[in-house]
Amino acid sequence: MILEFERPIKELEERISGLHRLAGGSEGLQVEISRLEEALDAAKRRVYSNLSPYQRVQVARHPDRPNFRAYRDALTEDFYELSGDRLFGEDAAVRGGFARLKPELGGHPIVLIGHDKGADVKARVAGNFGMAHPEGYRKVGRFYELAVRFGLPIVLLVDTPGAFAGRQAEERGQAWAISADLMALSRAPVPVVSFVIGEGGSGGALAMCLADYVGMLENSYLSVIAPESCASIIFRDPGRAAEAAEALKLTARDLKDHGIVDEVLPEPLGGAHNEPEDAIDTVGDALGRVVSGLSEADPETLVAARHDRYRRIGERAMQDGTA
Amino acid sequence: MDAVFTKCERCGQPIYEKDLGARFNVCPHCEFHYPLSAPARLRLLLDRGSFEERDSGLLAGDPLGFDGYEERLKKARRRTGLDDAVVSGVGDLGGRRVAIAVMDFRFIGGSMGSVVGEKVARTIEHAYAEELPLLIVSASGGARMFEGVYSLMQLAKTSVALSRYVEGSWPYISVLTDPTFGGVTASFATAADVVIAEPGARIGFAGARVIEQTTRERLPEGFQTAEFQRDHGMVDRIVHRLALRGDIERLLGFVA
Ligand SMILES: [Zn+2]
Repeated sequence: MILEFERPIKELEERISGLHRLAGGSEGLQVEISRLEEALDAAKRRVYSNLSPYQRVQVARHPDRPNFRAYRDALTEDFYELSGDRLFGEDAAVRGGFARLKPELGGHPIVLIGHDKGADVKARVAGNFGMAHPEGYRKVGRFYELAVRFGLPIVLLVDTPGAFAGRQAEERGQAWAISADLMALSRAPVPVVSFVIGEGGSGGALAMCLADYVGMLENSYLSVIAPESCASIIFRDPGRAAEAAEALKLTARDLKDHGIVDEVLPEPLGGAHNEPEDAIDTVGDALGRVVSGLSEADPETLVAARHDRYRRIGERAMQDGTA
Repeated sequence: MDAVFTKCERCGQPIYEKDLGARFNVCPHCEFHYPLSAPARLRLLLDRGSFEERDSGLLAGDPLGFDGYEERLKKARRRTGLDDAVVSGVGDLGGRRVAIAVMDFRFIGGSMGSVVGEKVARTIEHAYAEELPLLIVSASGGARMFEGVYSLMQLAKTSVALSRYVEGSWPYISVLTDPTFGGVTASFATAADVVIAEPGARIGFAGARVIEQTTRERLPEGFQTAEFQRDHGMVDRIVHRLALRGDIERLLGFVA
């Protein structure tokens, strides 16, 4: 899939590979190729250093963006998957289990949980595009309990348009499942580390990022509402999603500036979907560093610090008449 | 002005507005529960003259500079006489002291922004510090979009506060009224020891219209009503508004 604003980049890339195919390698051809490569580099820089918030949302949703499985395979070994909420069923929109960070990332055993958007159409449908039902959030809650029981850090990869909005999700208590996860993370006496790797859609994302550390990839987003829905409600026009995305201040940079997240993780030029390994390495470096740092912390201190962090979050959003 | 008739939207019967007020906005003919303001709800639940408001004067800023938010806040403040969509404090219920927060749907649809989250969190902390039962009455369309991710963070803020409170042995009773949705149900409103709902109240995560638009599913009769939620195991009891105070008093007799 090619995003509209990526078109000039893709055209240059096609011309370059066309020239490469011509072979022969005459000097004139080489000169032309290097001229185009410079133009390509400039085009990437121009486009990608000026992405609007809504363009970032589109990058965050890109189907080729590295997903849960790519991070899992690259950053951990011996993933031991667990399934089911023990109440209703199994939900492939979120996956989790025990894993060990790669030796170069410190080798810590962890509980790894993430929304799984899937890499191909079949997997995307099976995982409901990363939109979990209550059984998914209850499964996640089970994994939180297991992590606490065995004293393992919880590592979360957030990538969801939101918790699923549907009849059955409501019948099985979507809101109840999410609030239980928030309560569980609020008091889990183990390190909780969360990365927003793509979409961070509302409560369904928050149920997996109430954490001691939240890192966001540069082109990921975290928002209380999808920009399209916000535009329908505020402007009565879903077509004005770009304006809504701007107003919602949902980019990684905005959230860091507002003190909501800890770190913006830079993506390779052209976005994570163009250079997946680079993006995964960046997350891996942060993951290894943060888990090593937190694994020494006293559990009670961790919970107290997490409490204070969220208790005070967004203080500047109020004018305190009593102060 | 005092002999004003209105027509019940539900049963079509004429009602004296005075009678409706005396019955805390419950239709005397069909028992339909209309929305109730926070001040009236406090009168309904607490012993006369016992309410002490806390944490008033907290006002929403406009953290994102969201176009139109300031005007909406001003209008809502003027129209309701409230600072924001929740009134909180301590008071007596059947002679027993409780910490209480009551939401008001008239204030920007009872949406939860920083002030609602903060006042709910402080109410929880008063209950914790003073060893009081906690009572929260919700009425909310969900998160306050105009505060963007700040409103989302209120789910986290109220959850961390509540996670401390539930370590103690004082009860948390949540009352869900029409309507309660989104960020409020996905955080403190459903994380209670006992969840009570008013008859017919619409309660859920996503609104019915959103579900119909996204899934094109036909939703069953009575979808997301209090009765539906009780039948699906999500709500403990459905209690008529005029019986609510007595019902909570009974419950406190067991657990407080
Ligand atoms: Zn009526």
